[in-house]
Amino acid sequence: MSSHREAPEISKDPVADSTDLYAFVSPDEPDTVTLIANYVPLEGPDGGPNFYEFGDDVLYTINIDNDGDGDADIVYQFRFETDVTDPGTFLYNTGPITSLTASSWNRRQMFSVTRVDDDGPRLLGTELACPPCNIGPLSTPDYAGLAGAAVHDLAGGVRVFAGQRAEGFYVDLGSIFDLGILRPFEEAHNTFGLQGTGLGQMAAGINSTKALNVHSIAIQVPMRQLTANRRAPTQVSAAGSVIGVWTAAYRQKVKVRDDDGGHTWAGPYVQVSRLGNPLVNEVVIPMGKKDYWNAQSPGGDAQFAPFYSNPQLAQLLPVLYPGVFPSLAAYNAGPPAPNRADMVAILLTGIPAGLITGFQNFTGTTQADMLRLNMAIPPATTPANTGLLGNDVAGFPNGRRVFDDVVTIEVRALAGAVLKLVDTSYTPDPAAGAVNQGLTGGPGDVSALGTENYLPAFPYLGVPYSGFAVPAA
Amino acid sequence: MPGVTRRTFLGRGSLAVAAAGVLSSVPGIGALVGAAETGAPAADAAGADAAGVDAAGADLTEPLVAHVRDAATGEISVFSGTREVVLRDPRLVAQLLRAAR
Repeated sequence: MSSHREAPEISKDPVADSTDLYAFVSPDEPDTVTLIANYVPLEGPDGGPNFYEFGDDVLYTINIDNDGDGDADIVYQFRFETDVTDPGTFLYNTGPITSLTASSWNRRQMFSVTRVDDDGPRLLGTELACPPCNIGPLSTPDYAGLAGAAVHDLAGGVRVFAGQRAEGFYVDLGSIFDLGILRPFEEAHNTFGLQGTGLGQMAAGINSTKALNVHSIAIQVPMRQLTANRRAPTQVSAAGSVIGVWTAAYRQKVKVRDDDGGHTWAGPYVQVSRLGNPLVNEVVIPMGKKDYWNAQSPGGDAQFAPFYSNPQLAQLLPVLYPGVFPSLAAYNAGPPAPNRADMVAILLTGIPAGLITGFQNFTGTTQADMLRLNMAIPPATTPANTGLLGNDVAGFPNGRRVFDDVVTIEVRALAGAVLKLVDTSYTPDPAAGAVNQGLTGGPGDVSALGTENYLPAFPYLGVPYSGFAVPAA
Repeated sequence: MPGVTRRTFLGRGSLAVAAAGVLSSVPGIGALVGAAETGAPAADAAGADAAGVDAAGADLTEPLVAHVRDAATGEISVFSGTREVVLRDPRLVAQLLRAAR
């Protein structure tokens, strides 16, 4: 998945597990940027009585680098606190939750937002209410109203929301992690020589995250608050128009379990999860480095560059689909040894000017896995879910919007679709531009199956699925 | 070192008492905490502000946890609040090892 359960350690710590990160110029507020960091993967909507929530003992951050060194210049910190009204009942709520202050809501979370920059820490908001989880028609009869009341406008034009949302990321996990099957192309898979697998017919993709929820931390910030010169960017070609974004979660170093069921934390905060570009720790970083990668800062990502410049998945594609990617197979075989400068540019440095007309999101030579957004590029009037590969410069890998088909974009890129940009002697395989996961109706489909409820305004990810309406299968 | 057990080092039920007990009965800890409080260069506050977190606030009313990182070198990490102080004290480590038996 994008970053759901992507590393061994964090897969056992869901509340600190970042799943997706989005950064885009707000389509309805184009002088602002919206940043969304999702946590708590694969929430079954009916997961009560202890419904999903953020971790009170986790420090969540959204980080912005505005000078290209891979270090955070601006950090938005989010801290949560849970209140239990009546510890004498097992119930999450003892009646309909009709407002964020309803006495019938027994377990609620509040959060604070702090901005840290060169001027030091500044508390932007505190005791901000999260909405409850979407339980059902009796417990949360007007869920959209509750969630709307949990959108908080802070000083300086900043808007925040933290709470449950419908999962917006779509992926066919069941096929991809079964040795790289892509259902629309399964007839071309080598099947490892197995017979009678049931494969062999073209099939539509299956969205594994359909009808699941997630917990989102969303913040909308005027662009001028994110640039180094504190001015809104206007020039696409200007280096200062590009920001790098990543999310990270921290826990204190020591946890002691007490005999009374409680626990104690002590020590400095250490990073346990991070996410910039989707799918990187998932399918680029090898198993033995995943936990380590999660503990590192982007500024040190040069140490991981060999995994980006010769990604294993690019090696596997011609093997799993023999004859489908002959150019890629030849490139992989060398000589010279593969050096995927295209993947390094997309994921580690940004794409320099001159490669794609009217576009750049280059942050310099420092290799850092960040979601890079050129904020001077306005929202697309006719967006393509394939982003830059679909000639939509407002989409991934220029930031990431909620509807971008990042799996298809990255698989195509790994398959060599844009390798020609940095190696003019390379001729991409036709399949590299056609491969997809079969979850959209085409590039213009910005509401993939299972994600129909994106919102046109903040926080953009849709109303979460109700536990009553979407029980576990 | 009577009264000092792993439980009192790590326990939460009487945190202040546990910390005070350790401090009063284990040579070196008091000096260590003093060094940490004053930011003395002898102490290595590792990663206290990795997330831009305010590292102030470590005091004796908070839980204090010690981790013997390397018994051979006497290296101990002491955690309190959001601080970590690393020190080398083979004598203290030897006492702790005896107490843990």
